Amino acid sequence: MKTSLVLPATTGFFLLAVLAHLGFFDLERLKRGVRNLGILGSEMLPPDVGILPTVGAALWETVEMSFAGTLLGFLASLPLSVLGTRRLFSSWVSSFARFIAAGIRTVPVLLWAIIFVILVGLGPLAGTLGIAAYTVGYLAKIYADLFEGTDPEIIEAVQSTGASKLQLVRFVIVPEAANAILAQVLFMLEYNIRASSVLGFVGAGGLGFVIQIYLQSLDYQRLATILLLVLVIVLVMDGISAWLRRRYLLAAHTS
Amino acid sequence: MTPDSDTAPALQADRVWFAYRNRDWVLRNVSLSILAGQHTVIMGPSGTGKTTLLRVLAGILKANEGRVAVFGEPTSGFGQRRLSSVIGYIPQQLGLVRSLSALDNVLMGSLGRLGVGKALFSLFPRAETDRAEAALDMMGIAHKRSEQVFRLSGGERQRVAIARTLLQHPRIVIADEFASDLDLALASEILMRIRRAADKENITFVMSMHRLGLARQFGDDVLALKDGEIVPGYIGNQLRESARAEASL
Repeated sequence: MKTSLVLPATTGFFLLAVLAHLGFFDLERLKRGVRNLGILGSEMLPPDVGILPTVGAALWETVEMSFAGTLLGFLASLPLSVLGTRRLFSSWVSSFARFIAAGIRTVPVLLWAIIFVILVGLGPLAGTLGIAAYTVGYLAKIYADLFEGTDPEIIEAVQSTGASKLQLVRFVIVPEAANAILAQVLFMLEYNIRASSVLGFVGAGGLGFVIQIYLQSLDYQRLATILLLVLVIVLVMDGISAWLRRRYLLAAHTS
Repeated sequence: MTPDSDTAPALQADRVWFAYRNRDWVLRNVSLSILAGQHTVIMGPSGTGKTTLLRVLAGILKANEGRVAVFGEPTSGFGQRRLSSVIGYIPQQLGLVRSLSALDNVLMGSLGRLGVGKALFSLFPRAETDRAEAALDMMGIAHKRSEQVFRLSGGERQRVAIARTLLQHPRIVIADEFASDLDLALASEILMRIRRAADKENITFVMSMHRLGLARQFGDDVLALKDGEIVPGYIGNQLRESARAEASL
């Protein structure tokens, strides 16, 4: 066998073995799944829009949680990512900052929500803190990598004017990364809106609580309404972020 | 400054050797001496160590052996702020912050004089803003002060970079391949403006360049660097040849 085929062949064989282990070749089960999909679909239609006034409050809570959580997490991620920038700080400081960010990121957002429910009790406060925590871990890593990629010539040039580290961050590092900073916050906001709609499963507020009730009572027509609502919010968010990108990011692409 | 700062050369390199990590020597035994107020051009084929030499002179890189001194004082003991009050450095790509305005970029020249946490909200002292506007005016682009740098042309960016360095009030300015990607007329106009500004404030200028015509127009003295060594007389011959070529046209 040609050596160039070794890697694809091994990967393919491994994939087949894993799929068999996971039950992908149990045709009976797959057939049943397709049949059930039809039944589930028919039970979801038509969506019961009568619940809209009742779930309105939960929906708004979800939006509030993701907005506040994203912004708080964003603000907290900035100092952490600056400390994690190897070009600015000793490897001790930057490794420690990156270690903290990695630690925060290891814990999934749902688990963060559970931890904060234990700490501050049931409700949207726990959800917001959970979202903020996960956002810090994610953005701190992305931003630290981004800041490290700053053109060294610009840093050198401004450093040679006698600028302090703090001034370098303010006048070089953040402005140079501004486009990516905004793009990542918007991505995180979209992500958090989807994520926060399930935080209610663990009592951390928002739509998740309602979703859980309808799931458990097999009330699929109402569940369908909620899924549509989440879709609408995500689409609206997409629209807003597309507008923000056009308004603030496009200009830089012409350089 | 030491008592002999009036008589000592503005910038002096004494048997400087430099290598990146453990690689081969980039600078071999370079010695040079530049008088205050003089404009010196460093020429040489590309890859010959011009940028490295300028960065060692500017104190950005530390020489492995030998010493660099400004007005008689070795720069090895200088902190970043002290160094910035004496030497201004303009890298080849200028090192401007593209998303900020021309004026903001020029104002950065004053950061070394302000406190370490000052100006974080873009609040510069009135006097600094006035000086920055004057520097832009001197370079002939006061009308572009609010324009973001990425919208400016190559020549305009060069002017902003010079204005930033002028605001720093250094006694020595070191510029790498300045104006080298501009057309001759524009490059020559910008260099003339620099000359005027430098003479007014008695600034010593060191520039690397690859165009002989410009070097002759701008430099009081031209040094040749070849394979990391200063070659005496090397440029003299080239200058004579290019003068002969121009005369025969």
